[in-house]
Amino acid sequence: MVNDHDEQFMKGLADVKLPESQSAPASLKAKVYSALLRRQVESGSLASLTESALCGHELCVFEQIVRISPVGESTKSLNICRVCHARVLAEHLNNAPIYWSGCPYVDFKKS
Amino acid sequence: MGSSIVSPANCFFSWGENQPPTTKQIEEEKGNFLGARVPGEPEAVGPTGLEDSALVAAVLRKDRKATAQFVDRYADSVYCYVRARLAPRYDQIEDLVQEVFLSTWENLTHYRGEGSLQAWVMGIARHKVEDYYRQRLRAPEPLDEADQDLPLPASAQEIHRFLEEDELRKKTWRVLADLPEQYRLALIWRYWEKASARDMAFKTGKTEKAIERLLARARAEFRERWNHGQ
Repeated sequence: MVNDHDEQFMKGLADVKLPESQSAPASLKAKVYSALLRRQVESGSLASLTESALCGHELCVFEQIVRISPVGESTKSLNICRVCHARVLAEHLNNAPIYWSGCPYVDFKKS
Repeated sequence: MGSSIVSPANCFFSWGENQPPTTKQIEEEKGNFLGARVPGEPEAVGPTGLEDSALVAAVLRKDRKATAQFVDRYADSVYCYVRARLAPRYDQIEDLVQEVFLSTWENLTHYRGEGSLQAWVMGIARHKVEDYYRQRLRAPEPLDEADQDLPLPASAQEIHRFLEEDELRKKTWRVLADLPEQYRLALIWRYWEKASARDMAFKTGKTEKAIERLLARARAEFRERWNHGQ
């Protein structure tokens, strides 16, 4: 059954590397990030925005508003990206018109 | 998510019917990916600065910014790996990449930090791709008869003489991409992923003979398309 010529031919070609030098589309990174946050929320709240800021992470303008608002930490632990237009745009467009700093969806577009 | 920590070499991933990776597989994965770390070597630091262990701890705390860093750091590698092995099924690539990341989240407590996080994530990607191969190859085989009297191919040496490496790569990829999916996956699994026919048979629940027949048909089809310049 095994044709030696075919076998040798394929083994010779197997030295040819498969193409592996493409960046992931920004929209895919956005979808993966959103999916991860959704999955994380399933087992309890996210770390609060206060904690993220204390760890030195930059918050986006909307997250900053929530962080300085007189609300409890449980509110600051909500996945507010879920209702943000930046998420929707980033998941559907590789070059979404979103530009403010501190937003992961904007950063995916830059990387 | 518990706090028990085990080595990637003996951790159990939730890969459906997949077996936990063997030590040999893990060693192969370490060898296959540049991210593997040897004892005594400084811990890998990603482009955004957080060390692997710090990043894992932050993701486990569900820090959204760390999670974004995690995605940003490994999405390119995972995407390239999956894309090269599933193309041209572009509709499947994004789903599989997403599955890889969700699986890393589900199993992140098992990451001990003995190897690089990159190698660990890619190990999961590798197993997800194998799961995909297994599912696709379990489906009934195409019925077309491939034991035909086809022209013999040129040897690999001849091919190298006449084609530049880049042309060879493009042609190989083009021919692979045009093959029926089962043939393409079988060839990539056997020759590029270096799986043995016995291993493929074990993982797909088919007999070794059936896998050999599938590979023979796939090689013949590949050869025909190669020789006819597709």
